[in-house]
Amino acid sequence: MSEYVLKLEGITKEFPGVKALDNVHFDLKAGEIHALMGENGAGKSTFIKVITGVHSPTSGEIYLNGEQVEFDNPKEAQYMGIAAIYQHVTNYPDLSVTENIFMGHEKIGKWTRRINWKQMHADAKSLLESLGSDLDPKTEMGSLSVAQQQIVEIAKALSSNAKIIIMDEPTAALTHRESEELYKITEQLRDDGVAIIFISHRFEDMYRLADRVTVLRDSQYIGCWDVDKITHDQLIVAMVGREIKQLFPEKQNQLGEEVLRVESLGQIGRFKDISFSLKRGEILGITGLVGAGRSELCQALFGIEPYDEGTVYFEGKKQVIKTPEDAIQLGIGYLPEDRQAQSLILQWEISHNISLSALTSISKKGWLAEKKEREIAKELAEKVDVKTKSIFDPASSLSGGNQQKVAVAKLLTTNVKVLIFDEPTKGVDIGAKSAIYQIIVDLAAAGYGIIMISSEMPEVIGLSDRIAVMCEGRVTRVLDKSNATQEAILEASMSKKVNNSKVG
Amino acid sequence: MSTRTINNTQEFSWKRFFLQWEWMLVALIIIIFLINSSISPYFLNYLSISDATMTFLDKAFIVFPMVMIMIMREIDISVGSTVALSSVVMASLYNAGLPMVLAIGACLLVGALCGFFNGFLLVKYRQLSAVIVTLSTMILYRGIAYMILEDQSAGEFPTWFSFFGWGYIGSVPFILVLFVVMAIGAVLLLQKTVFGRRVYAIGSNPTASRFSGVKVDKIKLIVFTLAGLMAAITAIFLTSRMGSTRPNVANMYELDVIAMVALGGISTAGGKGKMLGAILAVFVIGYLQYGLGLINIPAQMLLIIIGVLLIASVTVTNLRVKGKLQKKKSKKKVKKAS
Repeated sequence: MSEYVLKLEGITKEFPGVKALDNVHFDLKAGEIHALMGENGAGKSTFIKVITGVHSPTSGEIYLNGEQVEFDNPKEAQYMGIAAIYQHVTNYPDLSVTENIFMGHEKIGKWTRRINWKQMHADAKSLLESLGSDLDPKTEMGSLSVAQQQIVEIAKALSSNAKIIIMDEPTAALTHRESEELYKITEQLRDDGVAIIFISHRFEDMYRLADRVTVLRDSQYIGCWDVDKITHDQLIVAMVGREIKQLFPEKQNQLGEEVLRVESLGQIGRFKDISFSLKRGEILGITGLVGAGRSELCQALFGIEPYDEGTVYFEGKKQVIKTPEDAIQLGIGYLPEDRQAQSLILQWEISHNISLSALTSISKKGWLAEKKEREIAKELAEKVDVKTKSIFDPASSLSGGNQQKVAVAKLLTTNVKVLIFDEPTKGVDIGAKSAIYQIIVDLAAAGYGIIMISSEMPEVIGLSDRIAVMCEGRVTRVLDKSNATQEAILEASMSKKVNNSKVG
Repeated sequence: MSTRTINNTQEFSWKRFFLQWEWMLVALIIIIFLINSSISPYFLNYLSISDATMTFLDKAFIVFPMVMIMIMREIDISVGSTVALSSVVMASLYNAGLPMVLAIGACLLVGALCGFFNGFLLVKYRQLSAVIVTLSTMILYRGIAYMILEDQSAGEFPTWFSFFGWGYIGSVPFILVLFVVMAIGAVLLLQKTVFGRRVYAIGSNPTASRFSGVKVDKIKLIVFTLAGLMAAITAIFLTSRMGSTRPNVANMYELDVIAMVALGGISTAGGKGKMLGAILAVFVIGYLQYGLGLINIPAQMLLIIIGVLLIASVTVTNLRVKGKLQKKKSKKKVKKAS
């Protein structure tokens, strides 16, 4: 038996025209948490697919417990004890937890050939309990939170006797507290001798969990370090290939007069009694646990699901916002959380995407003014620095970060004064993140009032002038820049949830 | 914030210009004319060809809104029944003593109401699919038409009413003049206006459209109402040409119209295709039918040919993205079919 449960040597994977992986090495010990890091497009996903047998490598060797293996399909890898838990949980939302756990390896009675439900429910229950969760295995999967679904996925991996578990961005959709629960489970698995490959964009995940870290960049293997022997700056250089001097740019915004004020805003079942104000040039961070009502509040301000009670004052005048058109008319822009589903039309060219919300003003009596449209698109795409050659390229040809820039450019077409950013850096890599921060800071300096929803604590603290913390549909605390600490935010975001927020 | 310059002028490219589905349809029309006129000496006879044009153009008015409906990922299969109902209402009101002009007005109103009702149901109950909603109203509208006329026919319209179906302006059929005028309007509406752009946006990503301030419901309502209105115009031409009407007229018109739109390159997945393509497809199918009729090819054969043509076009237009090669292959297939 070798020291390594999994070892990959010189893995190269070529797709027609591109080298997705170029001579990558990797090794994994039993009872180890090994972080795999790199920017979007660095080749992490392809690498994982090689390990799980989805892709077979063009060249290179895979050793499992010292023996060379080749996987022809994912089923073989699964059989050998390799399981992967993906970022976007893939499951059957209409089926029960038990069915999800045993999908593909149901317990079937020896003679009767019937599914042994009793046995399966009992096994599911004990698996979940071993992970510290008191979920009822008969619950419908779709009714669970993302964090709970992930626990079910982990239980599923264990039920197939996985010895190697790959977690692909498991914390991306989790709040701080939920992540903490996941860390505990992960550590417990490690102590039980399971080897874990952990992929994440969040540095805190890595520092908290991993023993070693392997970095990929531009499809190439950059190196493997013990986590306690590499500095943060070195790691960033390894990932990005250059130094990022300052993730959060210097702020130069001047606060002006009040532009937006809401008073006791409420929406039945979602949020209640919300009051705050926003000045020109101010960045107001809104944070809290997922499900605290942050997005719902902002979508109500943008007229997507109108609020039921309360008043909105825009530039001192009382206004009613019932539809997105109302909001746009007033001068409120909203950057949705899911840019691919809610903001961009991916197959459309960049210029048409940018102009979509402003077509009324980019037209004459209903006729499209195509020349004006192209000019505006060019100007705005340059302003936010979209990395593209031409505004006629489809949005789908851009990377995540650049798509996000197009989504921002789209907001600036209309005569906006207040911009609402909903998780603006979700799923973008660190290079693009710092570019988006720069845009936000520049917009604030240009006098836009900015509301930024974010679950990432450093981001909220690093950018906001004031921070409103939400919990269970209410603002529990508004912190000033000067007294905003992680602890204070955490405390406020859980002030009501202390007793009933156990994950699972 | 940056110094990067991004190109906002697009050079004219012949390749891109000719790589459009519409050229395929133009080629098809030419082929149909060449083959038919070499087989039958009567094909190019002006009177018979304009007569044929009058026959297939009546339903073609519904193609305009149907293109927009299908671009928005919806469908309307109730248009045939709407034609029947508005025609029956017009005839019975006239027979009941209403002046013909008012009866025509009622016909248009009934059509528009039918379309509006479809749109209303779809917008109000978003979880319903357009197939089911318009299937229900298809049955409903036809049912009302039967209730009004009970398998009778109605007619004996004033002589001037036959102008719609049989009239000429100079030497061009009136229906063709009106169709061309409306076709130009429809092309401009879909391709050059804010309204048209928004129709494409809705079909490409309805959620993003809503988040971008596009009034999705209002646009759907307008387009469905337009479909009903166009069905009523079809009813006027059809009734005028036949001289009388029955509750079972315009049977299967919805399928003919959908076939024309699909052949025109509008993808059922939404967001793709052009108005011009569907308009050309009207003439492809129309002259194909006319030519095959002249050389006495039985009607069943005609169905087979149109079916094959449609399969070829649908596969090609949905694969089109993959490039030139696909295009060339398809050309061969379609040639064979015609």
